[in-house]
Amino acid sequence: MKPFTYSAPASVAEAAERLAAPGARAMGGGTDLLPQLQRGIRRAGEVVDLRGAVPAGILAAGQGVRIGAATRVADVARDPDMAARFAVLAQAAGAVASPQLREMGTVAGNLCQAVRCWYYRHPDLTCWLRGGDTCYAQVGDHRKHGLEPGDCISVAPSDLAAALLALRAVVTTNRRESFPLADLYRKATAGDRSTIALDDGELVTAVTVPEPPDASAYMRAGERAAWSFALCGVAAARFGGEVRLAAIGVSNLPRLLDPADPLAGLPGLEMTGWKRRLLETLTQDALAAVG
Amino acid sequence: MQLRLTINDQRHELEVEPHRPLADVIRTDAALTGTKVACGEGTCGSCTVLVDGRAVLSCLTLAVACDGADVRTVEGEDELLGRLQAAFTAEDAFQCGFCTPGQLLSAVALLRANPRPSSAEIRAGMSGNLCRCGAYPAIERAVARAAGEAR
Amino acid sequence: MARLVKTQVEMEGRYEERWTLVEEDVTPEYADGEELAVVGHPHTRVSAAARVTGGARFISDIDLPGMVHAAVLRSPHANARVASLDRAAAAALPGVRAVIGPGDVPERDGRPVLTDAPAYAGGAVAAVAADTPDQAERALEALAPGWEPLAFVVDLDEGLARQEFTEDPEETSRGDVDAALAGAAAVIEAEYRTPTQIQTPLEPHCAVAAWDAGGLTVWSSTQGIFAARDELARAFGLEPDDVRVVCEYMGGGFGGKQGCGPEGYMAAELARRAGRPVRLVYTRRDEHTTAGYRAPTVQTYRIGADADGKLVGVEGSAVIGVGVHGWVFPVLNPAEALYECAHVRSMVLPVKLNLGFSNAFRAPGVMEGTFGFEQALDELAEELGIDPLEIRLRNPAAIEQASGKPYTSKHLEACQRRVAELAGWKERDALRSDGRVRRGMGLASQIWWGGGGPPAHATVRLGKTARPTLVCGFQDIGTGTMTASAVVVAEALGVPVGHVRVQAGDTARSGYGPTSGGSMTLASVAPAVRTAAHDVRTQLLDLAADMFEIAASDLVLADGHVSSRDGTLRHEITEITSKLGNSSLVGHGSRGPNPDGMRVNTFGCQAAQIAVDTLTGAVTVEKVWAVHDVGRIVNPMGAMSQVTGGVLQAVGFALSEERVVDPTTGTVVNAGLEDYKVPTIADTPEIVCEFVDSPDPHLALGIKGLGEPPIIPTAAAIGNAFAHATGVRVRQAPFTPRRVLEALAG
Ligand SMILES: Cc1cc2nc3c(=O)[nH]c(=O)nc-3n(C[C@H](O)[C@H](O)[C@H](O)COP(=O)(O)OP(=O)(O)OC[C@H]3O[C@@H](n4cnc5c(N)ncnc54)[C@H](O)[C@@H]3O)c2cc1C
Ligand code: SF4
Ligand code: FES
Ligand code: FES
Repeated sequence: MKPFTYSAPASVAEAAERLAAPGARAMGGGTDLLPQLQRGIRRAGEVVDLRGAVPAGILAAGQGVRIGAATRVADVARDPDMAARFAVLAQAAGAVASPQLREMGTVAGNLCQAVRCWYYRHPDLTCWLRGGDTCYAQVGDHRKHGLEPGDCISVAPSDLAAALLALRAVVTTNRRESFPLADLYRKATAGDRSTIALDDGELVTAVTVPEPPDASAYMRAGERAAWSFALCGVAAARFGGEVRLAAIGVSNLPRLLDPADPLAGLPGLEMTGWKRRLLETLTQDALAAVG
Repeated sequence: MQLRLTINDQRHELEVEPHRPLADVIRTDAALTGTKVACGEGTCGSCTVLVDGRAVLSCLTLAVACDGADVRTVEGEDELLGRLQAAFTAEDAFQCGFCTPGQLLSAVALLRANPRPSSAEIRAGMSGNLCRCGAYPAIERAVARAAGEAR
Repeated sequence: MARLVKTQVEMEGRYEERWTLVEEDVTPEYADGEELAVVGHPHTRVSAAARVTGGARFISDIDLPGMVHAAVLRSPHANARVASLDRAAAAALPGVRAVIGPGDVPERDGRPVLTDAPAYAGGAVAAVAADTPDQAERALEALAPGWEPLAFVVDLDEGLARQEFTEDPEETSRGDVDAALAGAAAVIEAEYRTPTQIQTPLEPHCAVAAWDAGGLTVWSSTQGIFAARDELARAFGLEPDDVRVVCEYMGGGFGGKQGCGPEGYMAAELARRAGRPVRLVYTRRDEHTTAGYRAPTVQTYRIGADADGKLVGVEGSAVIGVGVHGWVFPVLNPAEALYECAHVRSMVLPVKLNLGFSNAFRAPGVMEGTFGFEQALDELAEELGIDPLEIRLRNPAAIEQASGKPYTSKHLEACQRRVAELAGWKERDALRSDGRVRRGMGLASQIWWGGGGPPAHATVRLGKTARPTLVCGFQDIGTGTMTASAVVVAEALGVPVGHVRVQAGDTARSGYGPTSGGSMTLASVAPAVRTAAHDVRTQLLDLAADMFEIAASDLVLADGHVSSRDGTLRHEITEITSKLGNSSLVGHGSRGPNPDGMRVNTFGCQAAQIAVDTLTGAVTVEKVWAVHDVGRIVNPMGAMSQVTGGVLQAVGFALSEERVVDPTTGTVVNAGLEDYKVPTIADTPEIVCEFVDSPDPHLALGIKGLGEPPIIPTAAAIGNAFAHATGVRVRQAPFTPRRVLEALAG
């Protein structure tokens, strides 16, 4: 890994200031940032450790909960209130990576992690999303990629994103009080390849779920029984008569699905047709689980 | 950067570059080579240690981010770890033994949080430590045995 | 008196006539039906304390005074020429001690270790040594290689179409297959595909090299210290004993760490130039690109039987993706040898590709060949309406099929019957259902070699404290050879296993010991150990006889005591040994040859029960029953662990492990443990294991090998279980959700 400087600011304001410097990178648990720095996918002049700056912990917020951005994924998974009232989120958190990575990873880091496309992560290739010209996946092996055509066919990896999207979560940053989780994400464009819609120096401080659903569940399929990114993950939350369905593993961004037609807009690509079946199954399972 | 670490109750004052992983500092600066690095990228669990009680991957932890922390490795002395070491021996829960230090530390964290885990809980709690020799059935038995032998 | 005899030596199915030095040691056999106090009883590992406390020093832990760190420049291209390399820039950087490039390292097996024409992505071009790993990284960047990319082929089908082979395709046959198949009651034709499987030892390939006035010492994470020593001596122009290779603890090999890998050559050359010890550790990425693998295959079978299910003809071909070079392993051996059949033809086509070299991975060739053949046989059984177990029992091979020679022992049918009994084979149809989750059971059999053989030497010393030391030239790669050897010594000398100190893994300390491979280590070593220990035992009893004025033949050694058979006399062994002062009793032993004119094979059968979620494509292996015929079991505890390990690696092969190579860039895209998925504890089935614990009457101590057999039949049994569960055959491993969903969609 290339050398960098390190700071651990004690306040959001100080962190924001440090992050405004060119080459500064925000770090939560570092479980995604550090592998990217190791492989040269990103460079860092300074790593700004946010764990002492942004809040950690789960607080009641009216009917709902406010989750500090630096809360460990494991702490979300084992919170009894979470399991009781926001089952989909506890289940999704419990399915992330491995026990150790859950102890390390933060909620904000999980939401802001980069895609897992094996070309994006390749140390010797610079694909379109990394600023190059070619989407290697489309001409190469995209067996685990998305169902949606586009410049980039990689898929949203964050389990928490699916759950929080289904739960109508809103995000708070140091600059904005609250906005829907969906707006944390953007589709990369030719002019701007970033997929996280934050400004320089803007950082996530909390995620709030305004109210508990009447029922919720997370269904996911991986490549082995444990410690695998989701090939596809579907979160369902029922609020009265309305069911919100959200999926990862199928398109660039965490995606809200229409319960009546979950496959809409997801035709599948040459090597990913099989995922339509998987998505359909998980959707049905999730719907069945929330009644 | 200046770094103060307590590793297995021993205080260390170290001068460490910010980009160095905790695993490297434990193995090189503190010369405790029980902690293994099999991948260096968070994908195997061999480097698992306890930092302030949490089982974490020391290869993806910056040493400088652990200033003032309490670190426990396989070389540490502790009743639960000792019980697990005896159980791993009795059940033949390793072959080459390269994954074993990481397995042991994960097992310590698991049993601290859940002293009487079910088989499913052991399998979930130990799923972040790969063993290519395939000692898993014995590892499961060893963790259960150590739990059963709690005073 | 020692003499040289010509004997047949086998390694992973290759037979060679070799001159072998045979000493006049006749292994003191255990008597038929003899009640053994230690051998055959479960024992925990003698090295356990070191391995659970972090005290065991693995090769990647070795840190010598003044040691510097190596890094290797590897080609990012599937085929390239290196047009330029700025060595001077790298050498000028702070901390850099040595820079080497193409031509600077002695050749390995006649091939350059560093090359300016790397023919695969990951091929080594240059290497550096510097004071810190970071400095070594900076030096690599400074080399700023200029690449000229060249055309490449990485796809197996394309490689076959191009007809470029690493060796000439080879056809072997017996009888008249075409006529036999023309007259068969049923013939099936099927094509099976197997993936590239990576050994993935958790300790990567690594070596530490240091030169001094006496020569070269290399600490190598190897399965063969003596093979490594001989290679290095040849390469660097040294006398074998001027090279010392040490491997006390190493973190797994599984076939992929035979002898001294390129890492040892590079470390030695860098150390020579740097004038300091050098440590070189492969990255995890290197393990997936340049450290070897089980080669992918496309197997095609035509198998015919008469109406009773008796095999009449077997034809098989295997296209093997060998990579730039590699051994061609006997993929079609199961088709040729597992059952009796007079008419057999096989064709092997080793295809050259722009991928790193392939090498041995636990039961190389045979495991992947069994995946194809044992499923094809089930297809034939189904065609004939015969139960899969029954068709196997109807075709037993009484003699070794290829050579026509008798087996030293064979209990395959006993294994098959026992597995069926344990697994409840007869009731297996009760598992089936039409629901979303389908269960099924399948079985498959296994044949492998593994008789061991000479040379292997051992020395046992017993001093005043009666704690024997065994000095032997093997390395314990996790297979428990150390413990099993200690068990043999403890049996002979009547001392606790824990009192036996085993010194192994150091060429400077002992006579030759074999490479850990081909399931032959223990079968080779144990007889030598037994002979040495027995020698000491005889001396000890003679001393006791003198001391107590009784005939040595009236004395027995057990529980740390020497006692008379009639029970009137009982003394601690130390009463005798304490008189030795600074002398010790020393015994030597060596391994004699196996009987000529016979074939040594191991056998086994496994059944698997699986569950298939037909809507997600998830396959769960719920239970595996394994019964193997591997001769005498010295330490059942270690033997069980070997079986578990083999089964789990096969579960990975069957369900999730597959190296993926990008067709457009020719590079490996899942070169790490995130996308290359080996099983976790949560993927582990319940494993029930038994042995036909029947010492081989023709082999020293009756021991056959156990390392490879358990990995061989599991994946085929899983495949057969899949077909039983779903009625659909997926003829390609691994059975990923994608493959399963695609297959079930029709
Ligand atoms: C082997 C492996 C398997 C994994 N499996 C899964 C899985 O199954 N499911 C899953 O969801 N994830 C998985 N992860 C991904 C991920 O690393 C973890 O989920 C983790 O939660 C990420 O959190 P972190 O705090 O470590 O992130 P970091 O690495 O610290 O940060 C990730 C990104 O978020 C940014 N960031 C961090 N905090 C903030 C903030 N407060 N505001 C703005 N930006 C911020 C960082 O700059 C960086 O770009 C896996 C990772 C590994 C290595
Ligand atoms: S799918 Fe996206 S991330 Fe992957 S290669 Fe294409 S552009 Fe890059
Ligand atoms: S070495 Fe840290 S997870 Fe593999
Ligand atoms: S014991 Fe070898 S990897 Fe676990």
